[in-house]
Amino acid sequence: MNIVSRLVASLAIAAMVVAACTAAPETSKGPVKLVVLTHWGDQALLAVLQPIFDEYQKQNPNVKIEHQSVAFDELLKRITTGRLGGSAPDIYHFYNLWMPEFVASDLLQQPPGDVIADIKKGYSQSSVDGSSYRNQVWGYPTEVNTYQLIYNKKLLQEAGSTKPPATWDELRTVATKATKKGADGKVTQAGFLLLKGWDSGVVHPWSSLLWSNNGDYVAKDNSKVRFNEKAGIETTQFEVDLIKSGAADLGFTMDDFAAGKVAMTIMANWWGAALKKALPDNVGVAPIPTNGGAQSSTLQYNWLWGVDKGSKQGQEAWKFLTWLNGAPQAGGTSPMGKYLTTALNAIPARMSDQQANASLLGDAFVKPFVDSLRTSRSEPIIPGAQEIKTVLQKQIEAAWFGQKSPKDALDTAATEANRILSEKR
Amino acid sequence: MSITITGVARAANGAAPRRRTYGRRALAGYGFITPAIVFLIGFALLPFLFTVYVSLHDWNMLTAVTSMPFRGLENYSYLIFEDPLFRQTFANTFVFAAGNVAISSLLALGVALLLNGEVRFPTFWRAVYFLPYVTSSVAISIVWANLYHPSYGLFNGILELFQLPGARFLASLETALPSVIAVAVWHAVGYYMIIFLAGLQSIPLEVYEAAKVDGANAWHRFLSITLPLLRPTLLFVAVVNTLGSLQVFDLAFVLTNGGPVNATNTVVLYMYQTAFNFTRMGRASAMAVMLFLVILVITLVQLRLLRERE
Repeated sequence: MNIVSRLVASLAIAAMVVAACTAAPETSKGPVKLVVLTHWGDQALLAVLQPIFDEYQKQNPNVKIEHQSVAFDELLKRITTGRLGGSAPDIYHFYNLWMPEFVASDLLQQPPGDVIADIKKGYSQSSVDGSSYRNQVWGYPTEVNTYQLIYNKKLLQEAGSTKPPATWDELRTVATKATKKGADGKVTQAGFLLLKGWDSGVVHPWSSLLWSNNGDYVAKDNSKVRFNEKAGIETTQFEVDLIKSGAADLGFTMDDFAAGKVAMTIMANWWGAALKKALPDNVGVAPIPTNGGAQSSTLQYNWLWGVDKGSKQGQEAWKFLTWLNGAPQAGGTSPMGKYLTTALNAIPARMSDQQANASLLGDAFVKPFVDSLRTSRSEPIIPGAQEIKTVLQKQIEAAWFGQKSPKDALDTAATEANRILSEKR
Repeated sequence: MSITITGVARAANGAAPRRRTYGRRALAGYGFITPAIVFLIGFALLPFLFTVYVSLHDWNMLTAVTSMPFRGLENYSYLIFEDPLFRQTFANTFVFAAGNVAISSLLALGVALLLNGEVRFPTFWRAVYFLPYVTSSVAISIVWANLYHPSYGLFNGILELFQLPGARFLASLETALPSVIAVAVWHAVGYYMIIFLAGLQSIPLEVYEAAKVDGANAWHRFLSITLPLLRPTLLFVAVVNTLGSLQVFDLAFVLTNGGPVNATNTVVLYMYQTAFNFTRMGRASAMAVMLFLVILVITLVQLRLLRERE
């Protein structure tokens, strides 16, 4: 079935299931089934996650947990089509950027008072902010990801650099020195990797550089974007200069970094496990280089557990989530903290989990990311955030490929972003 | 008069059973086509009407269908007058369709002509050419993305062997779309080759023999016999290939995700992004309706051509 037919068919389902969308929550009686949706389907992850679910079922024999998992790219579609088809899960694990759309569509159940109190008390302010929208907390924060400069120690040494660059000027110099070209002028080793074709891969590192250049993404009242101001143009120009000098080659990918053909890039902590296998003892992490005397900052994004408003098991769902995110296990970590640190190599948002897993989080690769939480800024949770991010990605890429000047590209993105903001507000 | 009355009476007596027989037959006929009609109404007509309905509204799939706000023709006017990306994706789609239809059809015809002649192991060669078509387009895309890789891809390795400058293939604004077209052509040639082969084998050999007797050489036989008699097959291939090409999605999605900078973004890929990434179902539905109308017009023109030739 082609995509047009699929689109048309999925629309048709909606006509038949309106009633399902408006079902009122009911109090559970007897055995309770909780459907939990995540994007964790990998066998290695399930090996840690499933025993946690089993433990809860053992402690609560009347509860049966059905875990459904889809690929990350399919998660939002599964949530929306689940709603349409009347098969919405009770609990989702979702990306906080989707919160404005979910809240505007009345998709999420407000957590009970004790859950909100637990979240406000047990998590850092940036994590509370990352799971809040319109002054309301919507769920339990789970993994936190930030971005840092990741570098290949050997290639930096070969380029004559004893320490990672701390400023944009130093980064430009080191990247140029670390770049190698063949006889035909083709880049065989890139000084810096800029990811293309993926909104987060383009915009998250760019935003980290923007904030480390005293820039702003959006106005404080979310009324308009500000990424097309002077700091944004400088940030884009900095990346364009790296491309023009040959230090950043847009043909290179993350695989090239893992293959030892790239000296530096800006990426999130979730990449750590793969990099440790690919380049053992050869990967270093440093704060985002700064410009103009700014303090190093970085983008932080969160994931959170939320409960579907249409769930008939809301009370049981929050009880389960409270246990999952708060019940102390051996060593003082929560079940979620244990899963995030041991299986996912992620940073847990809960402060007690960070303390309980200090030895794992003190790893040379992970520690700089944990430290960066002190100065990180949450990815702007604004109406139409996902669409705005994609618009910005396309325009930054237009500047990279020389189609537009940095100013023209960012102005185009800003015009479109402000239109989306005013539409969705 | 009596004869006339008798004739009418006879006719009336005979017509009643005939009508009953006809009625029973018609009923059986309707019975047989009912499942197909129900299927068409349920899975084609109703969804299409619903798509048209949604295209006139603003809907994110998370709210009830009954509560979506009416927008009139706003989605259409936005796409036509205010969205440069929609125009670009249409242009990309037409370039892709033109390139894919022209090249794959010609290549398929060439291969079919070769395999229709004296070739050793014809079944083996047919299977070889048909294999790409039965392979998953996602798997193909992943393999080709590696072949195209600027650093370690096979194609640049071959160019390097001949001391030729390497190309950036999918990573360049200029070569990305032609590179995607090349994969589509490789994927489709085998399928159309089989159709052309069937068409070629239906041309009577006597016609060629008569032409040979008249002194026509191979080129003249191709121009004067093969092409005219193959015209229905050619037009069928053109119609089917065009329909498929205008709805291209999988190759663009997996190979490039529409990049770099939308250089390979197609209407259906953009529709998918609008619907499922940005949850703008109304706008995506308007795209679907517009693409449907364009495809409808093109198909009607092609069918008209087919009828005229016949």
